[in-house]
Order: sequence, then C-alpha cells, then structure tokens
Amino acid sequence: MKQKSYKRKQKISNGITYAVLILISIIWLFPFVGLVLQSFRSYDPKVEYGGMVNYLIPKHFSLDNYRFLFSGQTNFLKWYGNTLIIAFFVAIFQTIIVLCVSYALSRMRFKGRTFLMRFWLILGMFPGFLTMICLYFLLKQFGLTQAGAVPGLILVSVASSGMGYYVCKGYFDTIPKALDEAARIDGATRARIFFTITLPMSKPIIIYTALVAFMAPWCDYIFASYVAFGHDSSYNVAVAMTRWVWTNDYQGYFTRFCAGGVLVAVPVTILFMALQKYYVEGVTGGAVKG
Amino acid sequence: MKKKALALLMVTAMATSMLYGCGSSGSSSGSAAATDSAAATDSAAATDSAAASTATESGPSSEPVGNDAIKVWVADAVVDFTKEKCAEFQKENPDYANFKIIVEAVGEGDAASNMITDVEAGADIFGFAQDQIARLVKAGALETVNPDMLDAVKSENDEGAVKAATVGSEMYAYPMTSDNGYFLYYDKSVVTDPSSLEKIVEDCKNAGKNFYMEINSGWYQTAFFFGTGCQLTYDTDDTGAFTACNVDYASDKGLVALKEMIELAESGAFTNGSAVGEATNLGAIVDGTWDSSAAKELLGDNYACAKLPTFTGSDGQTYQMSGFGGFKLLGVKPQTDEKKLAACDALAYYLAGEEVQIARYDAVGWGPSNLKAQQSDAVKADEALTALAEQLVNTIPQGQYPDGYWQLGTSLGDSIISGEIKSSLSDEELMAKLQNFQDTCMTYAK
Amino acid sequence: MIDIPQVAYTAHAIPRRRDFTGHLIDKYLEEVYMASKEKSSGTQFGAIKEIGIAFKEGNFKTRISYLIMGLGQILRGQFVKGILFLLLEVGFISYMIAFGNSYLSKITTLGTVTTHKEGRITVYGDNSFLILLFGILTIIVILAFIFLWWLNIHDNYQSEQLLKEGRHIPTNRETLASLLDKNFDKTLLALPVTGIFLFTVLPIIFMVCVAFTNYDANHQAPTNLFTWVGLANFAQIFKIGGNGFGSTFFKVLAWTLVWAFFATFIDYFLGVAVAILINKKGIKFKKLWRTILVLTIAVPQFVSLLYIMKMFASDGLINGWLQKWGWISSPIPFWTDPMLAKITIIVVNIWVGIPYIMLIATGLLMNIPEDLYESARIDGATGWQMFRNITLPYMLFVTGPFLLTQFTNNLNNFNVIYLLTQGKPQSMALSNNAGHTDLLVTWLYKMTVTDTNYRMAAVIGIMVFIVTAVVSLVVYNMLPSVKDEEGFQ
Repeated sequence: MKQKSYKRKQKISNGITYAVLILISIIWLFPFVGLVLQSFRSYDPKVEYGGMVNYLIPKHFSLDNYRFLFSGQTNFLKWYGNTLIIAFFVAIFQTIIVLCVSYALSRMRFKGRTFLMRFWLILGMFPGFLTMICLYFLLKQFGLTQAGAVPGLILVSVASSGMGYYVCKGYFDTIPKALDEAARIDGATRARIFFTITLPMSKPIIIYTALVAFMAPWCDYIFASYVAFGHDSSYNVAVAMTRWVWTNDYQGYFTRFCAGGVLVAVPVTILFMALQKYYVEGVTGGAVKG
Repeated sequence: MKKKALALLMVTAMATSMLYGCGSSGSSSGSAAATDSAAATDSAAATDSAAASTATESGPSSEPVGNDAIKVWVADAVVDFTKEKCAEFQKENPDYANFKIIVEAVGEGDAASNMITDVEAGADIFGFAQDQIARLVKAGALETVNPDMLDAVKSENDEGAVKAATVGSEMYAYPMTSDNGYFLYYDKSVVTDPSSLEKIVEDCKNAGKNFYMEINSGWYQTAFFFGTGCQLTYDTDDTGAFTACNVDYASDKGLVALKEMIELAESGAFTNGSAVGEATNLGAIVDGTWDSSAAKELLGDNYACAKLPTFTGSDGQTYQMSGFGGFKLLGVKPQTDEKKLAACDALAYYLAGEEVQIARYDAVGWGPSNLKAQQSDAVKADEALTALAEQLVNTIPQGQYPDGYWQLGTSLGDSIISGEIKSSLSDEELMAKLQNFQDTCMTYAK
Repeated sequence: MIDIPQVAYTAHAIPRRRDFTGHLIDKYLEEVYMASKEKSSGTQFGAIKEIGIAFKEGNFKTRISYLIMGLGQILRGQFVKGILFLLLEVGFISYMIAFGNSYLSKITTLGTVTTHKEGRITVYGDNSFLILLFGILTIIVILAFIFLWWLNIHDNYQSEQLLKEGRHIPTNRETLASLLDKNFDKTLLALPVTGIFLFTVLPIIFMVCVAFTNYDANHQAPTNLFTWVGLANFAQIFKIGGNGFGSTFFKVLAWTLVWAFFATFIDYFLGVAVAILINKKGIKFKKLWRTILVLTIAVPQFVSLLYIMKMFASDGLINGWLQKWGWISSPIPFWTDPMLAKITIIVVNIWVGIPYIMLIATGLLMNIPEDLYESARIDGATGWQMFRNITLPYMLFVTGPFLLTQFTNNLNNFNVIYLLTQGKPQSMALSNNAGHTDLLVTWLYKMTVTDTNYRMAAVIGIMVFIVTAVVSLVVYNMLPSVKDEEGFQ
C-alpha cells in the first residue's frame, strides 16, 4: 500500500519536473530560435521589410542575408577570418603560457613564488578597461594598431594570459608528486618531467585551456574596436557587427546582424559541444579550487 | 573510440581555421597589398613622428615617409561614392595624383571620438556632424580652412552652414550637407492631419500605432524648448573653449515646453526613438533625411512627410515645434607636411564643392549646403528635403555646443521617459528641475 | 550532448580534503626552503653590505665587474653569463642615451614645449602621454638594472669565494643545462612575467599616475599638455551634495554592490535547483536538458545579448506579443524605467548564469554519497530537509571560494550591462553621464571612451580596485575552507 502511494508521488513529482524542464528549455532556446528565424527574413523591401519587426516568424523565408554576407559587399569574410586567426593563435600561445606558468607554480619551489601569486591576484582586481588607452599607445609603438591590429590583439591577449593559471595549476597539483620524484631519482631533468610525464597526463586541462582561449576573442568588441579603429579590414566580427546594431548608419541591418550572428555562433557552438566534457571538468575543478 | 573521434574533430577544426587563416591572409597580401602596405607605412611614419616630436630637436627638416597617403573617413553609405570622387579628383588634378587615397567607413559619431583618441592615427579628411566640432578643435584634430579658399567656401554655402563650421572667429571645416535637421515622416493611412501634435498622437493611438521621437536627445528636445521661444546657445573662443552660455530654460516658456514633453511621454502611443529601421510599429516618426529611403521602404504607398506639427501648450497657446537645423561637415586634420596639407585642402574643397554635392544627392539623397546645388531641380523636387526646408524656417541654425550638453539632454529625456519627471509634479518642482538643467548647462562654459 | 565525466570528480573533487593537509605540508616545506635560501643570500641589508665587502675584499676580476658588468665572469671562463651581463649593460646604456633620458628628464613637468604653427604647418611639441608612459618605463628599467648590477656583483663574489675554497664554479654548459633543470622555473616564467609586466603592470602603474594629473578632454595629447595636479581629482569624489560627482559615485557604487549580490546568489541557488531537477532519479534525457542550457555559454554574448536587448525593447517582440494578446495596453518599459531595467538585467543574467552553475553543481552533486540520503530517508526526512541539511551545506562548503570569485567577477561584469542597456536610463539625478544601471566599470568605460575624461576614470578605477580588494579580503577571511594557499587563488 505504502509502496504504491510512494510510487504515485514519485510519478507526480517527475511530471512536475518534466514540466519545469520543458519550460526552462523553451525560455533558454527562445532567443536562439528567434535569432535563426530572423536571419532567414529577407531585407528586400519588395518582399519584406528588413528592419526591426515585432513578430517572430518571417513572412517570407529567404537566404538574402547570408547571400549578402558572402557577396563581398562588406568585408564580412575578412572579419570572420581575422577572428578565426586571432582565436586560433591566442588558443595556442595562451595554452603554452598557461601550462608553463602552472607547472612552475605547481611543481617548482623558488624564491618569490608566493609573492608572484599574490601580486598577480592583486593585479587582477584592477579593471581592465582603464588600461586600454595605455595599451593602445604601447601597441602603436610596435606598429600593431590599425593595419597591424590582428597581431596586436593576439599579443595583448597572450601577454597577460599567465595570470590565468588557477585552474591549470589546480589540476597539476592533483597529479601525484611521487611520479616526479621517481623520475628525478632516475636522473630526469625538470624539463624532461614536464614534457614526458606532466603534459601527457594533462590532456583534459590542455583542451580546456585552449577551448576557453579560443572562445574569448569572438566576443571581444571593446578592446578590438579601440585598437583597430578606422581600418575596416582589421576588424573582427564583434567590432564590425555591433556597429550594425548600435549605429544609425546601418538602418535595416538587423536581419543581416542575425545572419552574421548565426554564422559566428555555429562553429563555436559545434566546437564547444564537441569538447564540452573537458570544459565541464575545467569549470568544476576551477570552482572547487576557487 | 569516442575520445578519438573528439580529438579528430578538434584537430580538423583547428586545421580548418588555420587553413582559412592562411588563405585569407594570403589573399589580403595579394589583392589588398597596396592599401595595406600604404597604411602600414603610414602608421609606421606616425610612430616615427611621434617619437621625433617628443625629442623635439629633430626639427622640421625630417621628411616623414607616410606623407604620400591620404586617409579619408566617411559614413559607410558614401564610401563607394567617395572613392569614385577621389579618383576623379586625382584625374583632374595631376599634381596630387601621386597621393594614395584610402577611404574607410567610419560613422560620423565614431569619427570624432576616434580622432580624439589618437589624432596621429586618425584620418586626414573626415566627415562629422557639426555637434562635434568644438570638441575636435579643442583636441587639435581640425585644421582651419585654407585662407585661399576661405572666401569661396563662405560665399558658396548657406549662412547657417558657414556658422556651423566656425568656432570663435576661425572657420575649421568644409560644409558638406545642410540636411541635418528633422521633420515628420508619417503613415498616410494612420495620420489624417499632420499639422497638430495632439491629433497625430491621437490618430496613432486609435490605430494602435506608435509615435516615435527621440526626446532623450538634446538635439530633438529643442523642438519643444525652441518652439516655445526658449534659447540656449554658447559662445566659443578660437581654441574651441566655451566662454559663455545664453540660456533661459528655467522660465515660464521652458515650463510649457517641459510639460508638453511630459504629456507626450505619458501618452500611450509615444515611443522613444529616431531610427526608422528600429521602429516596429510606426505611425509617425520625427527623423531626418538620412532615413528617407528606409521610410519609403517601410511605409510603401502610405509614405508621407511634413514639417513638424504645432502643439497646444499648457497655457492654451499654440506653438510651432522648432529645433535645430544642423550640418554635416568635412574636416582636415592638422598636418606636418606642407605638400600633403595642400593636397588635403584641395581634396576636401573638392569633396564639399557644388558638383560633388549634387552628385552625392543623386547617389544617396543627402541635401546640399551649397547654395547653387540647393537650387538644382532634383533637390527642389525631393519630398523629404522639401519638408525639411519648410521645417528649417522654424529652426535655428545649430551653433556650437559642449559635449556635456548632449549628455545632459539624454539625462533630462531619460528622466521624463522613466517617470522621474512626471505630470503630477507641481510647477515649482518642475521649475526646480529646469533650474538644475540650466545651472548645469552654465557650468560647461567657463 | 553534455556528458558529465563522473570519474573525474571522484579523482578530483572529493580528495580536496586530503589535498588540504597536503598543501599545508607543502607550504611548511616551502617556508623552510625559503628560510634556508634567505640565509645563504643574506637579508636585504646584507645585500647592500655585500656590495661594500665584495669591493673591499674582492680581487681584480670582481672589482672590474663593478664598472663593466660580466667582465669578471668572462675572465673566469663563464662566457654565457658574462656576455649576457655585458649585453645588458650595453643595452641599458644605449636605451638611456637614445630613449630613456629624454623622457625621464621631463617626467616632473610632463612636458613644457607646446604645439604651435609655422605658417599653416603644425609642429607638435611635447607629448605628455608618452613622457609619462616612457618615464615610468625608464624608472622601472633603472630599478631593474640596479638589481641586475647587484646580481652581477653577487655572482662574481660568490664565484671568487668558491674558487678560493678550491671548489668548482659552474661551467657554461652547466649554466645552460640548469635552465632545463634546477632553474627550469626561470625558463618557464621568463616570457609570461615579461608579458604581464609590459602589458598589465606598466599600464596599471600608468593609469594610477593619471589619477594625479589633469589628463582629460581639454588636455589631450599630442596637441595639449597635461600635468600633475596632486590629489585634486580624488577630492571630487567627496564633493557630496546635489548631484555632484561624489553623490553619483556612491549611488553607482551602491547599485554595483546590489547587482553583484543578486547576480551571484540568485544565479547560484537557481543553478543548483536546476541541477537537482536534472539529476533527479527517474528523469530521462539528462544530456538533452544540459545541452539546451549550455548553448548559452557557447554562443558569443554579443550575439545573444544584443538579440535579447532588442527583444525587450519597448516596441520589441515581447511587448508586441503582449499587446497583441491584449494583456497590456501600453508597452512595458523594460529598459527605460530605472527599477524595471535593473530587474530585467538581473533576470536576463539568470539566463546567462544558470548554465555555468548548473554544470558545476551537477558534478558536485554526484559526489555526495548516496547512502547519506538513503539513511536520511529511512529517518523520515523530507526532500526539503535533505536539501537543507545535506546538499546545501556540502555545496556551500565546497564552492565557497568560487562564490567569492563569482561575486568579484559580477562587480566588474561589463558585458551583460553594456550589451543590454549601456548603463541607461540616464537621469537628471546623476552627474557625469552616469545611468541608473551603470556599474562602476561601465561608467568608467564611458568616461574613457565617450568623454575622454581619463583622470576621473583613473580615480574610479582605483576605487573599483579598492572595493574589489576590500570585499575579497573581508569575505575571504570569513570562509572556513580557505586557510591554505589554494584558497588565495
């Protein structure tokens, strides 16, 4: 008897849970569905008006927006390429730097180690925007603004990346030190241990670091616009496309913005979904580490 | 197995992006090599000259390398047009044919702040809306109009445009358009009588449509304040500094205007905004000529435009809405090289001249500031420009205003829209707000 | 599909307790190590003393290194080290002559030569910005050089002592090899530390200095000079009353704190709740639910948030529908009413934040031993009681430090605010262009980019730093689980 009522209770509560989850899913998916639908709305005035509208489902589906982006009327492909280049190189170099710093801080004991960690922690509390103007003029000294903005942005992202070692160091800390010590007794150098023992065991964290580094440049519109201003072919997608929404020079670009947004979101999302296992591991480890 | 698949995907994704990266950078070095390298030498030269100028001793004898390129910034809509005209300019003036002219799309709003961030990396010639001129002069981003051309520029353009380009006693820019004013676009099927604000709002409300006006902008607000006879002007000296503020918003006239704005904001049909492209439920909108094609697209057969309506104030009198008549200008940045300065002057003069103004009207519909161009048949027949011309009679030519004023206008407008300033406040309370506004306006002029 | 790697957590999260003691031992060992190292190199006083002693007692090779760095090492056959020191000295001297000196000499005034015209040609004068920037750089270079000079003497003197005692000094090969072994940390950290110095430390020092100058729209390099003004900018913050800068500052600060509080804790509890729902026994398609939520993390925010911003506009999709269905007669002012704008931002931020928390919580929830719940259930505990007495304490304990970092991140959460409202609506009650939804950082951003009011932006930046640091310190000391060095991160 009791068993039965428990089961029924269970059923009801599961039903409610499903209802809540479905509702949540609708809310979470809604903006993306909207984005995709708008991206298929034509901007040709003969077919359908291209500006903002207050209905969701386009009256006419068309590929006009995508055709526009690929047509060469704007530098969209160039912007997209710039962002890919930045994301790719930032991912590589940032990962290398983070691994180096993490290993040094996790495995080596040297003078000033604690100082360095505390100093970087304190540095991280300064708001980054403050230093934009200064970074701009520093980069300018190297000729890395405007025409050289793409390498300039890579340089700035990579240069400061050593401070983001927390998650990776936390991971290294969990690799047993006994392994290192055994290798050292066998006469292996620190560098050898790093390359042959630590790195092969760190695949998840390497992928996590690279993935996070790869995703960040796609959303960098503030500093990128500061460094690249006045040079259309060095913009990244975020800089170029936020103009379509924020500036009155681009009336009726809303559907094109949506289409561009979809094109930006798709590869990043696929990559993310493919590697999310590592991402989850990284954020969780990082959270517990604090 | 699954792990391997993931790794494979990762590798292919990375490889594709690498290939893509190489491909695109390769193509850029091929096709866009000329512009890129020119720009690169330009920026390198800018760096050089920056280093040189701090050392000061380098003297004027040094010849910076980047002085053979001229960078031009204009709004995206006219980039192709401007490129074409620059080519024609070089054909007509072989003296300047060896300059490499680079045209970039930089919006009129961004142009000013980018110029101020780094004058050296900024454009040599750039288009901007006149409200930025004092700021630009102050930051040293504008060169005065070449004295040889001064008389011609002054006599060829309308008086307001000349005044707009003048700071203190110096003229700093070449007038390009005199259409930077606003009037009313409306849907003929919704609005029956565009001559009265109350009627328009009522018609919109009945049809379930919105009336758009950007009242949180210091630019559009003046439609009310100047309409009731208030004044707000600033005096400037030659360096772009503001010396005096003439304002009487904290008066009975100002109160009438403020109350009218509140009434509008509280009417159900009002929506803040001045961009046709972002209006989703348009009955009528206060907007400028730059949106005429967008408005035609949106409204189709119901497209119509008119000068701004009148409104009946809280004191029972009827006032004609006023506002600013503004101008778009073309500026030349201070140069360190004489030859380049001459070329820039000539090019700016050409791009702002009669012929190009007419051509620009034909291409993108921007209303000319050039007196002769204004008389051309096509310009006279333009509906939107006609509405604007009718409205301009009621406006004052926009002089120089400090940046703080525009921000303050936004604050006032936002306060009205958000209901911080509302109709249930007493006259004294409203007057206190106006007094606050007026006092803050005064602080910008020292 | 989202696939929570459960194995990873058992290996990784639960043993945290063991790590805790492990790190204490680590820390103890480190201190012992440091103490022994310090003994050998002497205290800081000792360093200065050593310079004198080494000169008095040192031989020719050591003494010549006082003037020509690295010569002593070269004479002793340590070419790699020696040449490196020599190159450093040459580099330093040429840097000072060619570059540093001209900036350093002007740093007290930040330039005196004004920009002027020769005919119609502009001749630029001193550039205060570059003088300040490179002046600071030069000072740091000089300090670094003094340190290296001392290091050079120290190294010489030590080698001399070792040789005197008849011991062996490292050969070139050994010096190089140590970079991959004993000194591997130097190899690893050289580049990152340089990068952080040049692109983070130097700019921060620069901007802190700007807070003491009058660098703003009216003093814009290269055309105009700016100069030192002492504490005048800081005095503005305390100009309270009316709608002065000070009162606006405290209003913005208050909203920043309120926002960070709500954004952190609402997201946290809802995130945990969603994770519990998904983890519930008997619920199918767990991966699907997670994948749907995680989409928010994957899609760049400038795309998703700008779309949401338009969605909630007064004539946007949401209002359009509500009006069409007749639920409301006039649009809801999601972004224009100050209070409503704040609420909308917090709500949209739930959309942004829940997926992260959900991911983290899912991993951690799997780590709570099932038998704890089992025994609680036998004792007749309800679901809520189990949540309150088992789940929540565990979660809070493990994620305490994470909540703190979340909080400080939210204090500086630029993207969400800027993409949604850009700080609007502004108000007559606030000065300096601030809006009701502005955080200190977005306000700071507007000051630098829109107003080019760098001096006040620098002051705000310093205040943001102080607020973040104070909050971190206070909360940090309240957390029970963070007494070891890991927590400090």
